[in-house]
Amino acid sequence: MTQGPAGREFPLGADALCRFMPMHLLLDPEEKVISIGPTLRRVLGEAAVEGASFDQLFEVRSPGGVTRVSELITRSANRFRLSPRQAHNVSLRGLGQRLGADGTLLLNLTFGIDLIAAVREFSLTDTDFAATDLAMELLYLAEANAAVTQELRGLNLRLEGARLAAEEEALTDPLTGLRNRRAADLVLERLCKARAPFGLMHLDLDYFKAVNDTLGHAAGDFVLENVGRILREQIRAEDCAARIGGDEFVIILPGRTDAQILRSIAARIIAKVSEPAIFEGSPCRVSGSIGVVRSPDLDRPDAAQVMAASDRALYAAKHAGRGQAVLLAGGAD
Amino acid sequence: MMDALLLRSLEGYVRDTFGQPVWLAICRRASLKIETFEPMLRYDPGMADRVAVHAAQELGRPVGTIWEDMGTYLVTDPGHEGVRRLLRFGGQGFVDFLHSLEDAPGRARLALPGLDLPEVTLTETAPDQFDIDCQSRVQGVQRVLVGMLTAMADDYGALCLVEPVGAARIRVRVLDSAYASGRAFALAKPERRE
Repeated sequence: MTQGPAGREFPLGADALCRFMPMHLLLDPEEKVISIGPTLRRVLGEAAVEGASFDQLFEVRSPGGVTRVSELITRSANRFRLSPRQAHNVSLRGLGQRLGADGTLLLNLTFGIDLIAAVREFSLTDTDFAATDLAMELLYLAEANAAVTQELRGLNLRLEGARLAAEEEALTDPLTGLRNRRAADLVLERLCKARAPFGLMHLDLDYFKAVNDTLGHAAGDFVLENVGRILREQIRAEDCAARIGGDEFVIILPGRTDAQILRSIAARIIAKVSEPAIFEGSPCRVSGSIGVVRSPDLDRPDAAQVMAASDRALYAAKHAGRGQAVLLAGGAD
Repeated sequence: MMDALLLRSLEGYVRDTFGQPVWLAICRRASLKIETFEPMLRYDPGMADRVAVHAAQELGRPVGTIWEDMGTYLVTDPGHEGVRRLLRFGGQGFVDFLHSLEDAPGRARLALPGLDLPEVTLTETAPDQFDIDCQSRVQGVQRVLVGMLTAMADDYGALCLVEPVGAARIRVRVLDSAYASGRAFALAKPERRE
């Protein structure tokens, strides 16, 4: 019997109690179980038997130091926290009421935010909750939220992938697979700005026009692709090889300023480029001239100065009779 | 965002059911600049209906049938288990679920502000007979809902007649709400097996 607002009492049977409050606990004045709601019964497991004492079933988390329900209700009737001794990880929130004069005690409990974990742990279904309980809404929201988050994460990944692909495409020379002029400019600007030492080679093919004119554009493209392959083989991962014009290439070598090493790399490239490549049965004979500059030889260079210096070195190489590499002497600027 | 969701679903349905080449053919037919839709992005209003018309031409079937089949696909396809689960949270039984349809726009907004599902009104015209009115800018919505409701009836194990009436009404007659056992529904989301 519960006490109504106007002092009237309403009979509420055990079945109704279970239906309205599937997580209730009804205790006699000795604080022993009279009735346990079906959902709370699932949480408590085998310990949930009639006559079990409250203290055997629960540990009071808040208010602290309380072990008896009578004290619990006196101190914090509207909000207390319990944990089942059988399932210590579950935190339950509840409120309680002394019913009538005979000292019967009614507690009603809920999972709070632990609901999601509890549903999984105790295999709860929608029939375990009263129709008035917002549990379904909370579970729904948690899943909807996870779905939305996952979708957003997927979208982010796809957009990032598209961005990287577009960026890569914007910096790549499609014919040779080398970097393009824009990419080379960016690398050069970065190195100049950081005042990092580097070597730079400016390669121009010799006799390329002749191949194009006599064997056709396809042969020309074949030669360019071949040079692309050679450059990729000759450089380190941190170097940048780019096609910056029709048959013009730039190789930027961060940290490489040793004249001897640069000369030998340039000589190797020229030797490889000069090996005749066979296109549809016809040998394509080209060679290469290389102008080499080193950042320490230039006084606080910017990208334009470096390119101008490499142009001069390349011009000198061409002038010296093609198939040559010329390193611009120190203090050239 | 309704267009985006429908376009993405249509894409998934066509690709999974008829294969990627058919989807690409539809994209070409519709002169689309893209071949894949993002459910979280926005597309031109009316685009979903327009693409569906091209899909109907490519597949040689009425556009309404395609939307209905897509609705069924969304509920039954294992890859979209999340859709079915979110719908099942609506109610313990199929009739209970029907009543939850009116809450759907509110629920959706709570999950994702800016997601405006069509407003739905449910009227119980006779015992176990319902009229569902749904107003949407997107014409396909009515038939998508028909497909989804048919599939959800199966999911709950209910025997029903679901039919479109006019352009914005769906009539549902529940012949037996416990016709079959239905599919199991655990409140806890199944652990993902990676």
